Amino acid sequence: MMKSKVDVAIIGGGIIGLYTAYELAKRGVENIAIYEKKYLGSGSTFRCGTGIRQQFGDEANITMMKHAVEKWSTLGEEIGFPELKMSKTGYLFLLYDEKEVEQYRKNVALQNSHGVPSEIISAEEAREIVPSLDISEVIAAAWNPTDGKADPFVAVHGLATTLKNMGVVINEYTEVKEISVKDGAVEGVKTSKGDVKSDIVLNAANAWAKILNEKLGISIPIEPYKHQGIATEPIKKGEIKPMVVSFKHGGAYLTQESNGGVIGGIALKYGPTWDITPTYEFMREVSRNFSMIIPALKHVAIIRQWGGYYAETPDHNAAIGKIDEIDGYYLAAGFSGHGFMLAPSVAEGMADLIIKGASNLPLSFYDPYRFQRGELREQAIQMG
Amino acid sequence: MRLEEHPVIDFSRKRGKKVTIYFEGKPIEAYEGEPIAEALHAAGIRVLNYTARGRPRGLFCAIGKCSSCLMKVNGIPNVRTCITLVEDGMKVERQHGLEPLPKDYRPPEWKDAERVEADVIVIGGGPAGLMAGIKAAEHGATVALLDENPVLGGQLVKQTHKFFGKREQFAGVRGIKIAEIIAEEAKNRGVDIHLETSAVGIFPEGEGKLVTAVKKNKKLVEFHGKAVIVATGAMEKMIPFENNDLPGVYGAGAIQTLMNTYGIQPGKRVLIVGAGNVGVILAYQLLQAGVKVVAVVEAMPKVGAYFVHAAKIRRLGIPIYTRHTILRAEGKEKVERAVIAQLDDKWKPIPGTEKTYDVDIVALAVGLRPSIELLHQAGAQAIFVRELSGYVVRHDSRMETTIRGIFVAGDSSGIEEATTAMLEGKLAGIAAALFVGKANVKNAMEEMEKVRKDLDEFRSGPFGQRTKIGEEKVMIK
Repeated sequence: MMKSKVDVAIIGGGIIGLYTAYELAKRGVENIAIYEKKYLGSGSTFRCGTGIRQQFGDEANITMMKHAVEKWSTLGEEIGFPELKMSKTGYLFLLYDEKEVEQYRKNVALQNSHGVPSEIISAEEAREIVPSLDISEVIAAAWNPTDGKADPFVAVHGLATTLKNMGVVINEYTEVKEISVKDGAVEGVKTSKGDVKSDIVLNAANAWAKILNEKLGISIPIEPYKHQGIATEPIKKGEIKPMVVSFKHGGAYLTQESNGGVIGGIALKYGPTWDITPTYEFMREVSRNFSMIIPALKHVAIIRQWGGYYAETPDHNAAIGKIDEIDGYYLAAGFSGHGFMLAPSVAEGMADLIIKGASNLPLSFYDPYRFQRGELREQAIQMG
Repeated sequence: MRLEEHPVIDFSRKRGKKVTIYFEGKPIEAYEGEPIAEALHAAGIRVLNYTARGRPRGLFCAIGKCSSCLMKVNGIPNVRTCITLVEDGMKVERQHGLEPLPKDYRPPEWKDAERVEADVIVIGGGPAGLMAGIKAAEHGATVALLDENPVLGGQLVKQTHKFFGKREQFAGVRGIKIAEIIAEEAKNRGVDIHLETSAVGIFPEGEGKLVTAVKKNKKLVEFHGKAVIVATGAMEKMIPFENNDLPGVYGAGAIQTLMNTYGIQPGKRVLIVGAGNVGVILAYQLLQAGVKVVAVVEAMPKVGAYFVHAAKIRRLGIPIYTRHTILRAEGKEKVERAVIAQLDDKWKPIPGTEKTYDVDIVALAVGLRPSIELLHQAGAQAIFVRELSGYVVRHDSRMETTIRGIFVAGDSSGIEEATTAMLEGKLAGIAAALFVGKANVKNAMEEMEKVRKDLDEFRSGPFGQRTKIGEEKVMIK
């Protein structure tokens, strides 16, 4: 039987919902419940490109990501799940013209000023990191060895197991139909399996967040775009250690998973749309672009292709914060492809916001009301 | 070793030009038109690769469906050598666990994909696919057909026995001959045939369908059509026992491919696991090829094969042990012995009943499961139906799946046999021609009705009961 009264109701069983539940429980909040309309991770988390990077072009994202990397590095040990480990294999942005190099020099300077050890390296140095690269047109690369990746399946499994032990109730296949409000305050959630009372509700439904907001008359622009990913048959481990990114070649990003398969995608997107059927165009363009970056990949077979949502905002930065119109209602959604990597910091910030009303992290950058005010952020580097 | 004499097939006539391939640097004689793994087998090479844990692996399915034969060919890893044809001078090496990327620093010269257009795209050139192609063409549709194997006919090309049934269903004709007849008819009807071409995806394209495929491991081909018929057949099941991955543990179909398609002696002494029609017919085919069959073991209390087939091999001195199973295969790098034992009522081996045979081949004839991967990718609704041997997609009486314009036929719609596969192929072919608006409605409906009757009649015997129960579950009404 589902609980009819909880203290915090979290909508969405993706990495954001799970991690925030963990941070809340860690701070002593009891009686937390998560509602997931399918299975845990099924929205965007299990469909993501697995990358974790600090190489952003703005202060807030760099700060958030530096903190997130610290947390990703220790989470496994903290929850007694040593398999959950961030691989610090770096992010390598391949650069093909002077203008690109100039932009990345600025980014690197900003990153360095926040303690991120990124640098501009030569094409030859890039090839030392990934020996199979074609560098005939590469003139430099932006490299940060402390970026990396983590396995979303292990992360979700590890967090869910820990949450259950901490007494958090996880309700899968339970869709929140609407958020009930009374006298300007949250009253609870109406789910496909019954109503639940709660004074605090967090909407962590990412692509679906807007649907619930609109029912409350709240308008925050988050639109679902179809992005796709592929995975190949496994090759020897360690062949492509970092996430390799090339804007020149279709905005491609690719790296090797822990099983040896290559995983990645390109920038090609469709939408706004709720259709996530994989497309031939994507498969063809991935094949073309990946083998331009690493020619030997033309001999490696793709074995899986899937679609998923980037829940995009107009400036590709998430909408995170308290919803002013309704007491007790919080939003952390619209991650525009960066939810997985940002999750630890977002969760910490959100937990502090809910409990203390404020966070030390630069959450105000993601203020959901900035769109209404016409204060768009500089577009985040939206890649992998 | 190669078969020089065979009562049914003349291989000297079938073999292509002699070529030389290099296995780990050593020259090996092969014939044009035969796949790499088969040529290596003929040269006595059983171990094709080693797993990351160092376990040797060899051929298993011989039709490109498992991954047991992956090797490095001309420096490129993970090549399915059982369906990749030899070329003169080819360099073939064993793989050891996961292979590094090949040393290839040249970005590809990108060419636009080859474009094929037809009303109906048929995936699979076995009995179901060929018949579907013939019927769709006969009813006015243009047809393109692709198959990842180098020869047409699917599993018919290895059936040296004569078929039962009605005269119009090729009764009394050997399977290999049926394959020739229907392949010829498909060509005569103008079916556009693409061999060594693996379908990798089915995508919606406006009102139509796009089937993407890879030809000869390297070239992208787009098949644009209005309807798709999936007739991708089946793959062999595996059962658990100690060393079931030892080279020399072969699927029954692989053994048939070796000896009946390519004229290669599979081994000297064989133990067959499974006394259904496949196992028992295989025993007879092995005798034809001059191979000793030490025994056929069957875990069930009764022989599953048609009585006439079983009686024939018993007459020829091959023992069939019911209520027996294989406990393990033994040998270093390849099968040298096999141990069997009797089973009790709870399917547990009875201690003290073990028997050891000196064999170099263990043939697994333990059933097939439908190959529905492409249908699954396309999004067709699938359900598990025990009577049809696995996951199958739901279809209606015209063989149309839950996706408009995608049809299914043959073993990929449930495990039966070649005659019913051809009948289902006919249905799907006519229905597809109707779907694309090319068939005369009255003629099409009449012929479909007749084919349905034939199917019903064929399934009315005791052997068809299981299928009928399965079809009840899978049919959309």
